[in-house]
Amino acid sequence: MRGFELVHPGSLAEAIALLDTDDDRVRPFSGGTALMLMMKTGVFRPSRLVHLGRIGAAHAAIAAGPNGGLRIGAMATLTAVEHSADVIRVAPVIAGAMKRLANVRVRNVACVGGNLAHGDPHMDLPPVLAALGGRVAIAGPQGTREVAVEHLFSGYYETVLGRGELITEVELPSQRGWTSAYLKCTTRSADDWPALGVAVSLRRAGGVIAEARLVVSAATEKLTRLAGAEAALVGAAADGTAFARAADAAVAEVELVEDARGSADYKAQLLRVHLKRALAQAVNDGAVS
Amino acid sequence: MTIHRPLPAGQVGRSVPRLEARRKVTGRAEYVHNLVVPGMLHTKVVRSTVPHGRILSIDTAAAEALEGVYRVVTADDIRTVVPDPWYGPAFHDQPVLAIDKVRHVGEPVVAVLAEDPYVAAEAAQLVVVEYEPMEPVFDEIEAMTSTAVVHEVLKPAGTFPDLKHLVGRRDTNVALDYRLRRGDVDAAFAAADRVFEHEFKTQQVMHTPLEPMVSLAEPGDDALTIHTASQSPSFVRIEIARLLGWPENRVRVKVPYLGGGFGAKLYIKLEALVACLALLTRRPVKWSLTMEEQFYTITKHASTFRIASAVKDGHVTGRRCEVFWNGGAYADIGPRVTQKSGFTAPGPYDIDNVAIDSYALYTNRPPAGALRGFGIPQLVWAYESHTDLIARGLGVDPVAFRRRNILREGRPQATGTVLRDAAIEGVLDDIARRMDWDKPFDRGSGTTQRGRGIAVGFKASIAPTTSVAIVNVAADGSANLYLSTVDMGQGSDTAMAQIVAETLALRTEDVKVVHPDTDVTPYDMATLGSRSTFHAGNAVKLAAEHARDQIEALAKSLGLPPGSNYGPADLFKKKYGMQAGNIIGVGTYIPDYKSPAPETGLSDNVTPFWMVGGTGVEIEVDTETGHVRILRMVNACDVGRPLNPKIVETQISGAALMQLGFTMFENMDLDGGQVTNASLADYKIPGMHDVPDEIESLITEAEQHSGPYGAKGVGESATFGVSPAIANAIHDAVGIRLTALPLSPEAVFRALREAEGNTGTDAK
Ligand SMILES: Cc1cc2nc3c(=O)[nH]c(=O)nc-3n(C[C@H](O)[C@H](O)[C@H](O)COP(=O)(O)OP(=O)(O)OC[C@H]3O[C@@H](n4cnc5c(N)ncnc54)[C@H](O)[C@@H]3O)c2cc1C
Repeated sequence: MRGFELVHPGSLAEAIALLDTDDDRVRPFSGGTALMLMMKTGVFRPSRLVHLGRIGAAHAAIAAGPNGGLRIGAMATLTAVEHSADVIRVAPVIAGAMKRLANVRVRNVACVGGNLAHGDPHMDLPPVLAALGGRVAIAGPQGTREVAVEHLFSGYYETVLGRGELITEVELPSQRGWTSAYLKCTTRSADDWPALGVAVSLRRAGGVIAEARLVVSAATEKLTRLAGAEAALVGAAADGTAFARAADAAVAEVELVEDARGSADYKAQLLRVHLKRALAQAVNDGAVS
Repeated sequence: MTIHRPLPAGQVGRSVPRLEARRKVTGRAEYVHNLVVPGMLHTKVVRSTVPHGRILSIDTAAAEALEGVYRVVTADDIRTVVPDPWYGPAFHDQPVLAIDKVRHVGEPVVAVLAEDPYVAAEAAQLVVVEYEPMEPVFDEIEAMTSTAVVHEVLKPAGTFPDLKHLVGRRDTNVALDYRLRRGDVDAAFAAADRVFEHEFKTQQVMHTPLEPMVSLAEPGDDALTIHTASQSPSFVRIEIARLLGWPENRVRVKVPYLGGGFGAKLYIKLEALVACLALLTRRPVKWSLTMEEQFYTITKHASTFRIASAVKDGHVTGRRCEVFWNGGAYADIGPRVTQKSGFTAPGPYDIDNVAIDSYALYTNRPPAGALRGFGIPQLVWAYESHTDLIARGLGVDPVAFRRRNILREGRPQATGTVLRDAAIEGVLDDIARRMDWDKPFDRGSGTTQRGRGIAVGFKASIAPTTSVAIVNVAADGSANLYLSTVDMGQGSDTAMAQIVAETLALRTEDVKVVHPDTDVTPYDMATLGSRSTFHAGNAVKLAAEHARDQIEALAKSLGLPPGSNYGPADLFKKKYGMQAGNIIGVGTYIPDYKSPAPETGLSDNVTPFWMVGGTGVEIEVDTETGHVRILRMVNACDVGRPLNPKIVETQISGAALMQLGFTMFENMDLDGGQVTNASLADYKIPGMHDVPDEIESLITEAEQHSGPYGAKGVGESATFGVSPAIANAIHDAVGIRLTALPLSPEAVFRALREAEGNTGTDAK
């Protein structure tokens, strides 16, 4: 790694202008925890880093909406999210996931936007936010647009973000009546990247599951919504039989990737077990009011 | 648990806080990584991309053309300063830079020099090396018979008499074959009621010192100074002097603190290349490895162990051991591991008839050497898993079965050396008592099944080795200790200062330990194999006693009656009329030793002391996923008398946790000789959350009569029992037996499914 340019734009527009280039060695830099690792190993050799620090404060707010939703600025640090009273009230599953996400030092500087934009399928926040129905607000040279978190990823370490585009905010719909859980499964050290992440959100009405959003990550090339498993749940009572049916459907519908953390076969077993456990946990923990 | 009372001066037996603790936490401790010297160049090496191949061409033009590159160096350049640039502690088999062929992925082939390390790194990528691939061999069993030969001819170093018979041997990958024959093994097997036979495997892992290896060489006038993160400064000096054909005193080796060693930084590693580069360029040269590069530098032996036992009337009457050590491309100290560990392969049991064959094998993997335990954890893994299986096969409680067969004080071990001061039974008893082994145990329910397991192991010390120490008492009575023992985090500075303080009746905190500098501190074989407390400790005690005797003689010469309360400061003043002078005490220690007979492997004095360690665990298995959670771990060791109980306890827990990583998940993933997880992101070591829910470190009541103040080494002992104790507990919990490390959740899960007669993973 040799010299590169580090710029500190003072406004979002300036940052976007600085990023609006064909040079793929130009990238935004928020907490830098992911970028620095790539730079150290030589996977990424920047020509220019656009540091978002000076515009951070304007895009770091975390606030509950009037109808049970939540907005999280892309530049909010993971620590800020972890300790936010609004997050703990509206979507406690996010705060819970933080406890085993990296470590205090990383969480103190890493930002929500970086966690999402990195495109690494092993990250914890994307599946949780996707299961909560989250959408990201994106600003770029052509203006602003919104994308559901579940559609943000186009492949392994790939997102749908275009040239010059920045994530500015995550917005969650109303969580009232929903109940959620996230399980992360490691197969080597406790702080290893997960072999599997499973995030589930359920809304029950009239004694049956009315809506379900189930997401698998880490064991798949990119985070994947489990439509078949969701269909197996909707209209059924929230019990072990339904959960087992959903688990079978999940294993049947996703392509699992073999790696040093486990074979595809084994990950299928982990998915089956952890999806059932996550569903049970979500039901036991009760719905957000 | 401190069971020993401090000695009279109150220094030995006291949990003195680490002398360097404050320096370390305030960032003031010196490390080679922080050392910057005027005019210094950095080097980055170009590493082999093939596991075995002939070098066809090396094109350095593009690298040399890069702005900021000072020079690019190949083996041809190295030969202009060292005509025969092959080094190594047991075999002179490792070239400073690859000559003609490469033997493992990651082998250094070319060195690039620049003032800016990033320029050197970039230029290294521009060097093009062409190879003609040769057939590789990776597996230790295949290496026994493969047509792929890693070294055409064996080149043992002259230093070890027991390697002489290997000189000039050709076309073999067997670097050393150690054999031991005791009693009549065939007869024992023929007469047995039952015979048990198993094979166990361990994987290749790495030391992962958090300070990667680093060395800096400074050329002088007909001299060379090497600052290096080394565990063996004296060896480095001798080996560099040998390579250069210089007298020892022109090579100066200095070692500050180390950020962990664990055996990785032993003998000679980066020093040969930086020495050559400094002489070639006449400038200081620094080589700092990245964490990734360490995986290609030195590792722990993967191994296969075939073990068979003859059992008659509940006693093990015969044991056959065949051990195959995967030494990788260069011998390093592997042949010593093969022999020194080989002879304890039957375990701490009283067995009359024993046959051992232990083979050091060359393969095209990254080299393997010493790692905390020096081969013993691989052996204990096998013999304690095997012993447990025998007990289960006989329907006997595993602890009761061990007690029945255990090697007791005064009985001969496999080599014929009689066991003295080795509390094997004491360790076993301490663990069993602490775990309430005789009481009922909660076995869990449903998908959570619980079990417990126990294992003990022992180790001979490396012998014969020498340590020298100097104690310098100043005119005010304060003392400096000059010693080449390296404090790499194990607390040796503090323990050695305690020995001086106890002997001279000083406060430990008032003894200053001078760090290794071969121009100043005397010879020490190396800081390895838990030898320092015993060997260097004995030398330090002798040096302190020598100083004390001189102080007493001084008092006598001044006409003072014995026991008068004049302190050393008063004596100096009385003698010299002012605060002046020194008293220098010198101590040299080498224990008695008898080399094993070549034909039988027997010797009645094979080690100066025995290390003993054991582990008991209570675990929980998630039968749906195979995850194992360690609820409780009890480690007990015979450390003789603990010089510093607190340091001993942290050595015990540290060793056990390190071995826990090697047991549960650490694994170098190899693909065609390439390590595919050579980084801390992908090679996982234990973190805080992997520490068992409860962990205890027990110091078993013992005394090493030949040790300094009754002490002996402790750095490795708690590694011994960890792996088999956990495998035994898994067996106890869910009835499956794993015979290969690591004990991954997937391995547990697959074995569970297999036991249910369903090899797929689809079962609910
Ligand atoms: C030791 C360690 C352990 C970790 N463990 C975990 C873990 O357990 N779970 C987990 O989920 N993660 C873990 N991580 C990853 C960590 O969460 C991410 O590195 C972090 O969230 C990335 O955020 P950042 O702000 O540092 O991103 P940066 O490194 O600054 O950027 C990451 C990527 O996103 C881009 N980017 C940054 N901000 C934006 C934006 N606003 N819009 C568009 N693109 C942007 C950058 O250009 C870059 O490509 C770990 C990291 C480390 C170092």
